[in-house]
Amino acid sequence: MYKVIEGLFYEKSDEWLKVDGEIGTVGITDYAQDKLGDIVYLEEAKVGKVVNKGDVVISIESVKAAADIHSPVSGEIVEVNLDAVKNTVIINEDPYGKGWLFKIKIKDKNELKDLMDAKAYSEYRQ
Amino acid sequence: MEQNLKKIPLHNIHEKLGAKFIEFAGFFMPIYYTSIKDEHLSVRERVGIFDVSHMGEIRISGKDAKNFADYILTNNIEKTEYGDVKYTVMLNESGGIVDDLFSYTISDEEILLVVNASNIEKDFNHIKKYLWKNLTLKNESDDIVEFAVQGPKAQELLQNFTKFDLNKIKYFKFDFIEIFNNKFLISRTGYTGEDGFEIYMNKKFGEKIFNEIIEKGKDFDIRICGLGARDTLRFEVCYWLYGNDIDETINPIESGQKFLVDMNKQNFLGKDALLKIINEGVKRKFVGIEIEGGIARHGYKILNKNKNEIGFVSSGNFSFVLNKSLALGYVNIPHGELGEEIIVSDGKKELSGKIIKKPFIKPRVKKEE
Repeated sequence: MYKVIEGLFYEKSDEWLKVDGEIGTVGITDYAQDKLGDIVYLEEAKVGKVVNKGDVVISIESVKAAADIHSPVSGEIVEVNLDAVKNTVIINEDPYGKGWLFKIKIKDKNELKDLMDAKAYSEYRQ
Repeated sequence: MEQNLKKIPLHNIHEKLGAKFIEFAGFFMPIYYTSIKDEHLSVRERVGIFDVSHMGEIRISGKDAKNFADYILTNNIEKTEYGDVKYTVMLNESGGIVDDLFSYTISDEEILLVVNASNIEKDFNHIKKYLWKNLTLKNESDDIVEFAVQGPKAQELLQNFTKFDLNKIKYFKFDFIEIFNNKFLISRTGYTGEDGFEIYMNKKFGEKIFNEIIEKGKDFDIRICGLGARDTLRFEVCYWLYGNDIDETINPIESGQKFLVDMNKQNFLGKDALLKIINEGVKRKFVGIEIEGGIARHGYKILNKNKNEIGFVSSGNFSFVLNKSLALGYVNIPHGELGEEIIVSDGKKELSGKIIKKPFIKPRVKKEE
């Protein structure tokens, strides 16, 4: 089945969030990369951009479809994975590792409680 | 809706092989097995097999079948003989494209048409409307399984199953040969821009022969390919996809398919309309576009630099060979000159593009010198 990693937070729209202090790393789940198929474009997020939880930050495109990437939390974009922008294959190959998309400075950790844990997300995408 | 969808004869085999399915032309069709890219590259580099049993087969038989085919099709069928395959279009009376298809000349009394899955019924009714007396028309689509074996290793792979020298079947030729311990129609044709063959058989043979090809194909690192790769492969060589790049509102002059029309023929369906179109001059043209920053999908608008609409995208995809986002589309003349900068838009986002040469990559089919 689809790989789900313990300790991450998950959004219904299939993004994951890893929290490390006040910095959150965002990527797409194994389920999402599988549904999209071969990813060929990743829009480069703007560092310094302030977003609200649920906002569309960037778009991602595969041969089959285009999808929006939402921010699981509010905050400021602080880093972009340029490797993934240049070489989108790594998003398919390693969605939870090398294929992360961007980092965000989390504004309010209370928002985390609206997200799913690994168990809930596994059940959601059973 | 779902229960109205047809399954191709080998549906369960594809399911077991891990195919992901989509709805296409009223069929459940495999879109990919491993990944579109992996399957695409297997055909460019080695060999892939496609089960294209959704395609339609319509047989015209009886006295003057060939003459009749010459009348309803634009290409010259009259001059063809046993073993000839012609790529052609079929027009309505206003010169719009009813379908693009392959016509197999079996004899003066028998012509086999291989048509798009989405058009089987429409084509059948269209031909029937004009059918000459004493001719019979038969839709054999449900009984025929068709495999396309494509790629530089296609011949080497298939040669394992026959004593017949496959070199003897030239590009756009066919023969009924002893292969797989049986006699089947095989042609050196395809929809990928690579060398390859298409083989037709009664559906009862399908499973066994599919498995034999896959098993032997392992020596060539074969991939079973779905409609996804079929689309990205044809797109790179700019082969038209009916329903996307051509339809009844488009004529073969503007679609760049004049080479499929023999205007010297005394008469054919749609000729008068086409003559008028040629005399008046076409209003738009079919162009290739290189896109920056995303994929331009079918239906996106094409705008000039001042954001005025000048056309539409008919197909858009990513080229795995060129590593670029490309598109095909129609622009109003005088637009469409090579190098012209344009914009494509879905109404929300805008991507910049530039008119480039077609085809994006040259077909590597084995044309006769």
